[in-house]
Amino acid sequence: MQLDWLTFVLEIINFLILIWILQHFLYKPVLQTIARRKAVIEKKLADANTRQADAEALERKYRERLSEWEREKEKLRVQAIQEIEVDRARRMATLQQTLDEESEKRRAMEERRREEIRNRLKEEAATHGVRFTARLLARVATPALEARLAEMMLEDLAALPPDRSQAVRAAAQNAAQELKVTSAFPLSQPQRQAIIHAVREIIKKDIAAEFGEDRELMAGLRISLGPWVLHANLLDELKFFASAECHGA
Amino acid sequence: MPDAHGFQLGPISETVITTWGIMAALFIVCRLSTRRLRMDPGPWQVALEGIVSTIEDAIAAVLPDRATQVMPFVGTLWIFIVLANLVGIVPGLSGPTGDLSLTTALAILVFLSVHWFGIRIHGLRSYLRHYLEPNPIVLPFHVISEISRTVALAVRLFGNIFSLEMAALLVLLVAGFLAPIPVLLLHIVEALVQAYIFGMLALIYIAGGIQSLEPKATREKE
Repeated sequence: MQLDWLTFVLEIINFLILIWILQHFLYKPVLQTIARRKAVIEKKLADANTRQADAEALERKYRERLSEWEREKEKLRVQAIQEIEVDRARRMATLQQTLDEESEKRRAMEERRREEIRNRLKEEAATHGVRFTARLLARVATPALEARLAEMMLEDLAALPPDRSQAVRAAAQNAAQELKVTSAFPLSQPQRQAIIHAVREIIKKDIAAEFGEDRELMAGLRISLGPWVLHANLLDELKFFASAECHGA
Repeated sequence: MPDAHGFQLGPISETVITTWGIMAALFIVCRLSTRRLRMDPGPWQVALEGIVSTIEDAIAAVLPDRATQVMPFVGTLWIFIVLANLVGIVPGLSGPTGDLSLTTALAILVFLSVHWFGIRIHGLRSYLRHYLEPNPIVLPFHVISEISRTVALAVRLFGNIFSLEMAALLVLLVAGFLAPIPVLLLHIVEALVQAYIFGMLALIYIAGGIQSLEPKATREKE
């Protein structure tokens, strides 16, 4: 344990040289490398932060755009629903109108069909009634009934209104016309004279008369003078009744 | 004892020669290792960067603002003393730190560096004035403190390493071949601890010399 001055001095020099060696060949290059790496890492970190900020900004932008799209979509959806509702209402109204018209048409057609059926049934009923009545009257159609009907006709001719009388006279103006009297049973001479006389009273002139028989009339007379025809028989009366019944007279 | 079986080159002692060997080894290793430093480091570069970063962090923990300035001196102290302590493990060689001349040289360098950094940072007048504060009466105590801690620094490292080698030699003589491995482990631990203590004390002394004036400078600046 003694102090060697040479060693002491050399060690001081050695240590100073060693400081220089380590400073130039260890600390400096290593610290520079670390600093460079740190700078690169910081740059990358800064880039990453920038990119992250950009990405976040982009994300915010896209989110805003998405929400805007959503709002627009919702608005368009509501608008479309409203338009659909309006269109639906319009179509429904049109359809309802068409249906109403169709229904009215059907109802009218049905009414007409029922009316036709009713009329046909009426006609059939009238026809049946006429047939049954004719069958019944055929049993009571006798010369006596016919005489009674002739009397009634003479009474009607006597009570003919003036306008009708005028019409008969107008029909008789044609000289070619002759009086045709058709009966179910043969008329007696007095009955024939009474008829001719009654007609002459109306037309105020002489006229030739032709008498015929038709069993279809069942009982009674049919007098025709040109276009003018006077019915006073069961057949024509029944037909008149049936026609009046069918047409609601 | 180291000098008993050591070698000399003329007047140059084994301690100096061993120091040159350590310096040469450090130069070669550092030169080869830092010749092609890459941004993507290999295992060896990672270890190298780990050592340098650890030293820098330890210094920055004590002197955050002056770490770059102080690092070459304190870092070199740590690295050199660790290697000098561990050289004693190699058969046939004795650790240079077991020589009082070397530890005294290092302690003197620490003593000078404290004033060097203090004067360099705060200026000569400002630095010397702090020995008179808070009262000029304390100047002798400051001087005694500087001397005693420098002596303590030199003697502590020398005493520990010298005694360790002596103890290891005695254990080997007594216990033969049973003891070497525990003694080697003890030697390694002691080498690291003593290097750490020496370097850390040097750092604290330098920091004390710098920071004892900084509160005042800060007050004056404010």
